[in-house]
This record gives sequence, structure tokens and C-alpha cells, in this order.
Amino acid sequence: MLGYLVQRLAQAVIVVFAMSIIVFVGVYAIGNPIDVLIDPGATQEIRAKLIAQYGLDQPLWRQYLTFLGNVVHGDMGTSMVYNIPVVDLVFSRLPATLELVFVSVCIATFIGIPAGLYAGYRPDSVAAKAIMALSVLGFSVPTFWIGMLLIMTFAVNLGILPSGGRGDVGSFLGIPTSLATADGWSHVIMPALNLSLFKMGLMIRLTRAGMVEAMRTDYVRFARAQGLTDRQIVFSHVLRNISIPIVTVFGLELGSTLAFAVVTESVFTWPGVGKLIIDSILQLDRPVMVTYLVLVVILFVLINLTVDLIYARLDPRVRLKGGA
Amino acid sequence: MNIRRLRCATAALALLAAVPAMAEDLVIGLRAGPDSIDPHWSTLGSQAEALRHIYDTLVDVDDKLQLKPGLAVSWEPVDDTTWEFKLREGVKFHDGTDFTAEDVKFSIERIPVVTGPMPMTLYTKYVDSVEVVDDYTLRIKTKGIAPALPNDFTRLFVVPSETGMEAGNEEFNSGEKAIGTGPFTFVSWEPKGDLVLEKFDGWWGGDVAWDNVTRKEIPDDAARVAAMRSGEVDLINYVPASDYLAMQNDADLETFVSDSVYILNVQPSQAEPLPQKVKVNGEEIDENPLKDARVRKALDLAINREVLVNVVLEGLGTPANQLMPEGFFGYTDKIGAKEYDIEQAKALLAEAGYPDGFEIDFTCTNNRVPGDAVVCEALAQMWSRLGLKVNAQALNGTVFFPAAARKEYSMAMSAWGTLTGEAAYTYGAMIRTPDADKGFGNFNRTDYSNAEFDKVFDEGAQTLDADKRRALYEEASFIAMDDRALIPTVILQTVWAAEDGTLSFTPRVDQETRAYEITPAQ
Repeated sequence: MLGYLVQRLAQAVIVVFAMSIIVFVGVYAIGNPIDVLIDPGATQEIRAKLIAQYGLDQPLWRQYLTFLGNVVHGDMGTSMVYNIPVVDLVFSRLPATLELVFVSVCIATFIGIPAGLYAGYRPDSVAAKAIMALSVLGFSVPTFWIGMLLIMTFAVNLGILPSGGRGDVGSFLGIPTSLATADGWSHVIMPALNLSLFKMGLMIRLTRAGMVEAMRTDYVRFARAQGLTDRQIVFSHVLRNISIPIVTVFGLELGSTLAFAVVTESVFTWPGVGKLIIDSILQLDRPVMVTYLVLVVILFVLINLTVDLIYARLDPRVRLKGGA
Repeated sequence: MNIRRLRCATAALALLAAVPAMAEDLVIGLRAGPDSIDPHWSTLGSQAEALRHIYDTLVDVDDKLQLKPGLAVSWEPVDDTTWEFKLREGVKFHDGTDFTAEDVKFSIERIPVVTGPMPMTLYTKYVDSVEVVDDYTLRIKTKGIAPALPNDFTRLFVVPSETGMEAGNEEFNSGEKAIGTGPFTFVSWEPKGDLVLEKFDGWWGGDVAWDNVTRKEIPDDAARVAAMRSGEVDLINYVPASDYLAMQNDADLETFVSDSVYILNVQPSQAEPLPQKVKVNGEEIDENPLKDARVRKALDLAINREVLVNVVLEGLGTPANQLMPEGFFGYTDKIGAKEYDIEQAKALLAEAGYPDGFEIDFTCTNNRVPGDAVVCEALAQMWSRLGLKVNAQALNGTVFFPAAARKEYSMAMSAWGTLTGEAAYTYGAMIRTPDADKGFGNFNRTDYSNAEFDKVFDEGAQTLDADKRRALYEEASFIAMDDRALIPTVILQTVWAAEDGTLSFTPRVDQETRAYEITPAQ
């Protein structure tokens, strides 16, 4: 198990390196951030001075080496737009995104999996068909549109939920979070629901497919023959056997939601990292782009690692193979 | 203020307890907010707009961008290279200290130390040294003759000299050093979040209507409109054109429309050879048709500005005939309204040697200002009626500006705003032959060069007498526009919206939303 971990971590370091180079080259290819940021009234002299001050007159490889050198000293750079250390900037916005993703994943899981189980258990019932129709809606209707629809209904017409923002931020175990206050919950519920729809659709379909397949297998028939109730069969045997694809997709989705909850964050004015990265791209705020994307890579690697570990727990065969 | 909001506000105030029950609050939803609370960090318009509530500038501008007294009550040149500013007496900072000339001197000297990639140094570039004559008199020695110095000082925010040179971004963002002489005191701010302000009772500018002001940053257009409709904010800026139409038919809402300083200009490159070559009958040619003034005039004549305004921009614009709106220092009356005459345009094109037209690339931005991409496409269609084949391409500003700086486009279009309200800013940057020593032509992306224009413009830039300078700038404007150095198309308009009958507000050409200039409707 330990060797497996080390191998995975080594891979991660290589991926992070490669990613930082790709981002660096990509941003360099677009052009000089000063030309995006600078005030048109600035003279040639001011422009030249700035370019030199930010080291943008250096060749690409030297800029990259300088960046690496700083990273080694624990300095990820300072945002060119906000003049705040990038790490502080990203971490100041991360809790907002984390709580949004946490609530949306909970909604998707606790509604999606039971709904999927039911739809697979009684595939011909009217309720199952309704669930499936809803899941199709969840994938195929654009997020921003549902978001606007939710806002129009609950904020503008009914006036029961706020249209955006994060609300009062309380403290839970020392972590600032909106989930600690009632006002915070009223703000988080709509964007979280919006963000969860796609994942919920995915959960429903995966669970249903697994369920339908599993119910036809021999082990279920034998279990039935043994006189186990359907409840025992579904929860202690079937669910465990169909969890592997669900866990995989769950992990992937968790990562992408965390990294790119941009649309929902924009529509609901949620002050998370997704919005930050889009703004930084639009302003070519290079230190933020590089740091953020590197952090995303680390995040994905960690999530995949966790997913693999959960596999091993769920399916002993994985443990045997991966244990080398 | 509707009942629900009043109730929320009252509840919030009850919690704060210390505030009297009759307090009036204002919540504004804005497309962009500040990037820092340090007033000397960046020249961005949204930054200045927000920080104006906390700090005052030495010179202020009215809603048409004409100079008016700020912390300075008067200013005049003493000799060719010295300006004298008389300062307002009895002004207090938020911490109770008196405002004096030392604070202005400190603020000017602080700028080069702390400014970022959007450098404030461009407002102090003519300052050679600052001399404090007495507490309320200041003399600025300039590098050469600097007639536009008071215009530059409309962005000179003043902080107390006790701030200290070592104070940085952190001290300002936390509020520790966020001390100005402005109408509001700083309460809190987070990047891309809310800026919360509280009335400063000792403001020299008089009483303001609001006890508490919250400026919420809501960049998404639809979300901003929804926040206003749901009553979460009282006023929003940058209402998108699509919502503007619906709002006009909604009796519950009120819209405020104003011309902005932003004009969409076509920039025909004079480079030889062109970076993206022109094709005639499918064959690339080496010469640059845009060098011929007749071709540029033909392009101009083929633009139907009425259609651009009424159809393409849904009414949210005004035809432009020069690079600045009317009334700005250096705007000339000698150019009449632009005419649309496709026949004359075709004749000019034939005269210039292109009877069958040519094929040309045309690049513009698609996210810088509302309407830039649609105007771009409409122009391409209008020119196709002239017999040209125009390959229009609308790009994100992130891609467009660095490439434009590398002069990679043969013909481009982007928005330009004369933010200082006078011609030198615009003509000196975009039309004057580049001259790094004098700091001119820094934004001249077209390689345009006209000796006659340069002569008149330079003379204006060396004239302190305001009337004479105005006459020279007007002549320079006329020369450049007659020659079609650039082709202005439309002045963009800005829309604000609020619930009907709640607020009284005069929109400004610089698009700023100043809370202290807003009052509850009577």
C-alpha cells in the first residue's frame, strides 16, 4: 500500500510540473499582461519601466526559472490586479466554493442515489419514469438557465430567497462558513441546488443502470432463494456491488465542480474561486492563473488517490493488485 | 424603499443598536468594484469610482467631466513650469486630523512607490517637485510646460501624510490606513465582494443622504438585474440592452440613461506592408489601400450611424463625428454630423484605384464594452455594400490588446474614452506621431503620422493660456478627423435602473455611480 502511495505521489509531482510549464507557455503565447492592464494614457517610458519591473522583458525560460525559484522559497507570487499574495487570495475564496460544493454534492447524493435505486428496483412504475425524465432534464438544460429560472421564481416573484451573495458568515470549528447561520443557508440553498442538478442526474442514471443489472444476477436470485428480504438484498449486497462506478464518477465530478463551479458562481454572485479564475484569465493575471491551475491539478490528483483508496476498501481484488 | 427592504434594514439596524432608527441606507449593485483600498494602486475607472467615496481628489469633475474644485479651491500657473494650488481650509480627515498641503505633497510622492501595473504615475508624470508654501498653498514645478496638470490631478487621491511610505496594500484593505477626507468612512471590503461604507459627518462637501452605503459587486448582467428586481439592491449600473427594452415598458422601474465617454473607433493601419495583407480579386497585394485618404473617407461614408444606433445598439448610443463627445475641451464644431452616402463612397473607392473593392481583415473586441461585437459585425456588412469583403473577427480583450500592441491588425476597432475630458489625452495618445521622449503617440496603433497635425497639437501642448490652447486643440481635432486618422462610429450610452420613484440621480458621462450624489426621491 505504501509503495502504491509513493508511486502515485511521484506521478503527481510530474503532472504538476508539466502543468505549470503548459500554463506558463500558454499565457506567454497570448501576450504581455501589461498590454491588457495598462491605462491607455500611460507613456512609453512608464510602460517600459513596468515591463522591466515585472520581469516580462526576460525570455520565457528565465521567467519560468524565476517563478520556480520563488516557489521553492514558498512564494507563489502576488496578484498583479489585487496586490495580494496569490495563496492568500485563493484560500480566502476557497471556503465559499467548498461549502457550495459540499451542499450540492450532499443534495446530489442523498436524493440521487435513493431515487436511482428506486427507479432501478421498479423500472416500470410511473414514479421511476418521472425520475428518469427529471434526470434527463438535469443533464440537458444549461445550468445558467436553470439558475436564472430559480432566481426569477424564488427571489424575484416569490421573494422568499435572496438572489445572490453569500449572506452572513458564521464560524464552525473556527472555519468561517455560511453554513453556520440561517441567513447563510438561505443564500446557499439555491446555488447548491442549481449546481447539484447535473450530478444528481448522473447519480440517478448510474445507480439505476447498476441496480437493473444487479437485480438480474445470480447472487440476487440466490439471496432471494435464501429468503432474504428485498431491503436486505439491496442495501447490503447490491448497493455495495454497484458502488464502484458511482464512486469513480463521484470523485471526478467532485473535482470538476470544485475547480469549475464558474457558471453557478457567476449567476448567483457567489464569491468563490471559480469566479476568481475567470476574472484572472480575463485580465491575464499570470501569478493567479498559474497558481490556481497548479492547485487544481494537485486537487485532482488527491481526489483520484482517495477514490482509488475507497475502491480498495470496496473491492478486495483492487487491493490485491494495487498492493505491489 | 419598499416595505420588505425597510423591514430588513430596520432589523439590521436594531442589531447594530448604536445607529438611530431613522437611518437611510443605500445598496448599489455594480458591474465592477475596486481591486484594492489603496487609492494609489491602480488607475482603473471602477477603482477610482469606489475610492472616491472614501478619499477626495485635489481637483474634481462634474457630470460632464468639466473641472471643478475638490480639495483645491483654485489653481493657476505662476510661470511656464509652476502651478499654484490654493487648498480648501477646515477640511478634516476621518481620524480628525486637519488636511494641509503636506498631505498633498505626501500623496504625490507616494504614488511612484506603491503603484501597480495600471500605473498612477501617469497622473504625476509632469511633476518635477512639490513645494509647500504654507498650509493651504502648494506649488508644483513641472517637467516642461504642463497645461493639463489640473486634469491629471482629478485622479489625485489625498491620504494623510501620517500614513507613512511603508504602509502597503494590507494596511489599506484592513481599514487601518483607509483614511481620507471623503463623504464616507470605510467599514469593510473583500476582493470582488461588498464595499461597506458609513457616512462621515464632518465632510466639507455638506450632508449626504445616506447613513450606510453598500456597494455590491455583481459582474453578471442578469444577476445584477435580478438583484434589483428582487429588491436586494436599490440601484444597478450597466443595464444590458436586452433588459433595457423590457424595463422601459415596466412602470415599476425607472431607468437613467447618459452618454458615456466611450466611443467605438475604427483604426485603419497606415503600415506598409500591412500586417494582414489586403487581397484584390483573391490576390494579395503589397500596397496598403488604407494609406489613401480617399479609401478611409469611403469607409467613413459607408457607415450608416443611424442604423448602428437605432438598430444595432437598440437605441443606446449616439452617432459620433470625432473622438470625443460634445462639450469636451478640444471638441470642434467645425465638423458637422457625419453623412451616409454609399454612392460617393463607391466613387471615391474607384478613384483611389479599387473599383471592385478589396478583401480585408477587421478585428475588434467582444467583451470590453457593451455592443462592441455587434457594431463590429454591422460595420462589416455596411462595408460589403461598398463592394469590400470584410472578414470581421471579434476577440476577447485578453487576446486583442496584446496583439494590437504588437500591431498585428490591419484594421481594428476598440472603445476609447477621453477620461480626462480634454483632447490632449486622446489625440496625444492615438494620433500624434509616436515620440517616446515627449510621451506622445503611446497608443498610436495605426502608424498614422501627419506633420501638420503634430505641429498644431504640440503648440497646444506648450500653451498655458486655456483659450488659446482650446483653439489649437480644436484645430488639431479638425485636421485629424478631416484626414480620417481614425474613424469614430458611435458614442456608447450607459443605463442605470432603480425601482420607480425611489431615487433621484443624475447620470454622469464618466459612468461613475457616486452614492453621495444620489438622494431619495422626494
